[in-house]
Amino acid sequence: MLKMIGRRLLLSVVIVWVVTSIVFLATQALPGDAAKAILGREATPDRLAQLRQQLGTGKPVLEQYYSWINKLVHGNFGTSLASNQPVWTYLKPLILNSLTLMLIAAVVSASIGLLLGVLTAAKRDSWLDHFTTVVTLVLAALPEFVIGVTLTWLFSTGVFHWLPAIYAGAPGQSAWRSPTQLVLPAMTLVIAVTPYLARMLRGTLIEVLETDYVQHARLKGLPERVVMVRHAIPNALGPVIQVLALQFAWLAGGVIIVEYLFRFPGIGTAVANSVATRDLPVTQALAVFFALFYVTVNLLADLLTLVLNPRVRTAS
Amino acid sequence: MPVAFRSLRMKIGVGLAGLVVLLAIFGPSVAPHDPQEFVTMPFAPPGHLLRFGGDYLGRDVLSQFLFGGRQILLMSVIAALVGVGLGAILGIFAGFRGGRFDEFIMRSGDVVLAFPQVLLALLFISVTGPNLTVVVFLVAVGHAPRVARVMRGATLSVSERDYVKSAMALGMPTWRIVAQEILPNVSGPLAVEVGLRLTYSIGLISALNFLGLGTQPPTPDWGLMINDNRIALTIQPWPVLLPVIAIALLTIGMNLISDALARASAGLDRQVNA
Amino acid sequence: MKFSIISRRRVWRSTGLIAGAATVALTLSMMSVTQAASPTPGGTLRVGVTGGSSKDSLDAHSPTSDPDIARAISLNSSLATYDTNHKLVMALASSIKPNKNATEWTITLRSGLKFSDGSPLTSADVIATFSRIVTQKKDGAESLQGIDFTKTVAVDDRTVKVILTASDSTFVDAMAYYANGIVPANYDPTNPVGAGPFKFKSFTAGQQSEFERNPFYFVAGQPYVDSLILIDFGDDTSRVNALLSGQVDAIDGLPSAQAPIIKASGSYKVLESRTGGWIPFTMRVDRAPFNDVRVRQALRLLVDRGQMVRQVLGGHGTIGNDMYAPFDACYPSKLPQRKLDVAKAKALLKAAGKSNLKIELVTAPIAAGAVEAATVFAQEAKAGGVTVKIKKLDTNAFWNNYLKWDFAESFWFTRDFLPQTAAGSLPTSPYNETHWANAKFISLVGKAKQTSDQKTRCSLIQQAMTIEYNTGGNIIWGFPNQLDAYSTKVQGLVPDKSGIPLTSFGFQKVWLTK
Repeated sequence: MLKMIGRRLLLSVVIVWVVTSIVFLATQALPGDAAKAILGREATPDRLAQLRQQLGTGKPVLEQYYSWINKLVHGNFGTSLASNQPVWTYLKPLILNSLTLMLIAAVVSASIGLLLGVLTAAKRDSWLDHFTTVVTLVLAALPEFVIGVTLTWLFSTGVFHWLPAIYAGAPGQSAWRSPTQLVLPAMTLVIAVTPYLARMLRGTLIEVLETDYVQHARLKGLPERVVMVRHAIPNALGPVIQVLALQFAWLAGGVIIVEYLFRFPGIGTAVANSVATRDLPVTQALAVFFALFYVTVNLLADLLTLVLNPRVRTAS
Repeated sequence: MPVAFRSLRMKIGVGLAGLVVLLAIFGPSVAPHDPQEFVTMPFAPPGHLLRFGGDYLGRDVLSQFLFGGRQILLMSVIAALVGVGLGAILGIFAGFRGGRFDEFIMRSGDVVLAFPQVLLALLFISVTGPNLTVVVFLVAVGHAPRVARVMRGATLSVSERDYVKSAMALGMPTWRIVAQEILPNVSGPLAVEVGLRLTYSIGLISALNFLGLGTQPPTPDWGLMINDNRIALTIQPWPVLLPVIAIALLTIGMNLISDALARASAGLDRQVNA
Repeated sequence: MKFSIISRRRVWRSTGLIAGAATVALTLSMMSVTQAASPTPGGTLRVGVTGGSSKDSLDAHSPTSDPDIARAISLNSSLATYDTNHKLVMALASSIKPNKNATEWTITLRSGLKFSDGSPLTSADVIATFSRIVTQKKDGAESLQGIDFTKTVAVDDRTVKVILTASDSTFVDAMAYYANGIVPANYDPTNPVGAGPFKFKSFTAGQQSEFERNPFYFVAGQPYVDSLILIDFGDDTSRVNALLSGQVDAIDGLPSAQAPIIKASGSYKVLESRTGGWIPFTMRVDRAPFNDVRVRQALRLLVDRGQMVRQVLGGHGTIGNDMYAPFDACYPSKLPQRKLDVAKAKALLKAAGKSNLKIELVTAPIAAGAVEAATVFAQEAKAGGVTVKIKKLDTNAFWNNYLKWDFAESFWFTRDFLPQTAAGSLPTSPYNETHWANAKFISLVGKAKQTSDQKTRCSLIQQAMTIEYNTGGNIIWGFPNQLDAYSTKVQGLVPDKSGIPLTSFGFQKVWLTK
């Protein structure tokens, strides 16, 4: 099993490396550079030359790539071209903010999703099941921005005036210090993710409930609750974890629109900014972050599945 | 398959999705106005002349809506078909061939999945301007590895069966085995994938159009309509609500259809296994 | 020079053509005249500002985004400035006087001026500021290009004698430019010291800036508020939501669609200002098909200006006559208003052999209404048999090939004619979008620049403007009003013609009621 984990780890490193290299080359191939982007309309030839010299851009691609990789290996992401501060200093609070938001959304939606999934699977074809199915079907069909706009109107600007409409915490201050401002963005993410989770969990559980193994338990005369808790849920955990991993990996992308709607200072802001200003070091660092996030979530899911599933554990 | 078409799910799904598709196809011929014509003040509320009022430029919301469905549907269908086609070919061959080829395809898929798609989309489009081809391409490429994974799994279970083994023993060329023996036996999951990917395509493409990355104005488009008019959601909700309802109905319909297909194909599998 | 609130309030009377529904807005902004009398000091003013990104800076001399401009104006003061009626008034200087042929300008500073750190502001700082702007090629470099630094001297602590390489009667306009604020000789843009109403406390690019009252500000009593927080907003809707949920006290750039909601509520007000800002379509006069003057004239005749103002601006604007600088004292208002004339346009196109013309119009969300204007124009041009294909880019890509597009859009704040030509209508201008290089025009502008006599100057300017009116490369369909919004507890904001939001970001004049 150790060998397998080692292989997975190595593979993850390779994936991150390939992804970032492709992003590096892609950004290099695109016309326009940071100097032009920063100056915008004021990009007269004089000013361009001056700024390019200042930024150290315009060197050969390979040279830039080598120096980037070299720094990265030493844990240095370089200096942001747009804001002129170390990339990590710039990104760290933003990444932490986004992770906070995603974590809250993940925990809440996992709990609600699990609960709904188990309840609807256990009471299959009851009114609760049908009701939940219809509601989750409709919610899953609504784009995030529609959910966000509606929630803002409902709880902040239109009907009730309970919650702040946007995030306006002081920069540098951690997002969790102003919990009320986190409610609407987190709620939007939760409503966007939970329906999928609940539906997929219900499906997985029903499949497990129909397996011979669970049927046997039933035939032994065990009460349905015990069958569910002792037999069905442990066996559904593997696929469930995979489903959760899939949705959390999705959160990294979904958070971008939500951050945009609520002016939340996180990676979404950083993505938009770094692209608009051709801030290559930041774009690169973000590519590393996204790839790393995806790889880590999947790795954790695989490991958890291994640990939790006795059959796989012994088989390897 | 016939089982699938008898279920209530399927009937409702086909009804909902069909309604929206018909709207998109025949909408333009029943639209009361030229969708580009300025007929009222910006964000004029609904009145007796314009049933759903005006949009942000004072054009008829209903006509914009009726014209705006074709493109997003077409884009979603293309993205889904290209993505599923590519994914299916790679997945089936990977599953059938196995070995290094399999390993290579699956690991490349991991790389593609780990790609920050939104970042890439933004980068490209920041240079090219809103671009339909780029959007369709990115969505399709995002689908391919996920489809490949499913199809590889399906192929693996099929290729263990006797008729495939005997075909191989007879020295049938690979493409013929795939076309004649494997493909018909994985058509269940394949159909599910088409439905599923179509649903995701609709969501993704309307989100990208919402961000203004796909469609160039003044082409009427549901995603663009939502984005251009959402500033006045509380005053004149119709130019946002109509496309949202249409996209939601379509998504619900497609979800029900792929659900029904999945159930039917799972049922079929069970019968075969039994 | 008066900075009193009352004199500010009286300045604005609308005489122009306000189209459609905008009249309601006018009465509203006039209502502020009757408001409360004496300012109460204290409190924190929170303002939501459009735009901003990680490339923003605190530099007094290179503001590009709206938050940049708000910061530059809050932290710095120029020698002169414009009042809300776009009249030049003195600021840090008590006088700025030219010699007879405007080759030599004498700047006299007010007495007892201090920077925000309490250090004295002297003539040496003025020269250092000019030198910084020119040598570091800052935003105002072109406007100060004429200074001969070898001969310019500080006569005493309060007097600077500026020697120009050529005579320039518009030098004083450069002194009033907001990006030419006076900074100390040892200026550090990361920890800026200035002479503006506020002093620097904290700044996070693209997110938020926090400033405190500058006790050394040269206008006694101002600013009234203790601190100022500027919050950046990329999205229009979230900016409006922040105001409606009480997270900010004022916002710039209110989308016109939101104006009715704000007006209907008792707790918020709309600040509507007529401006001389413009969003032109720019045709390159040196490239086909626009090198044929008949094509340019035809396209100008195909614009339904009333419809543009109505559909693009929701009526919040005035129609244009293909000439900029509408508030210039010399603006030729006698020239007939250009109107929609499809038949004449078709005839011109036919004569040019360009019937069924197909052109591409490049646009980007560079200013509110820009993409919308392109969309409306594309529809209007159909009537003349002209097919306009819209190419919408993101802002970055647009500036990337700026000045190279054959047919595109641009935006400008209010300026007088001569400063505007220096910026955008001469072969030497850094932003000559239309590549306009008319010999007669150049000579008229050159002469006007050297003429101090107002009457002769006006006649020259009017001749030059008439050339652009007849054959120029800009389609100037209108001047959008600036729409801002604020909570009723905010006092002291008045309409302003500059095109710069929220009374030219004049937060020193704002106070809060309890």
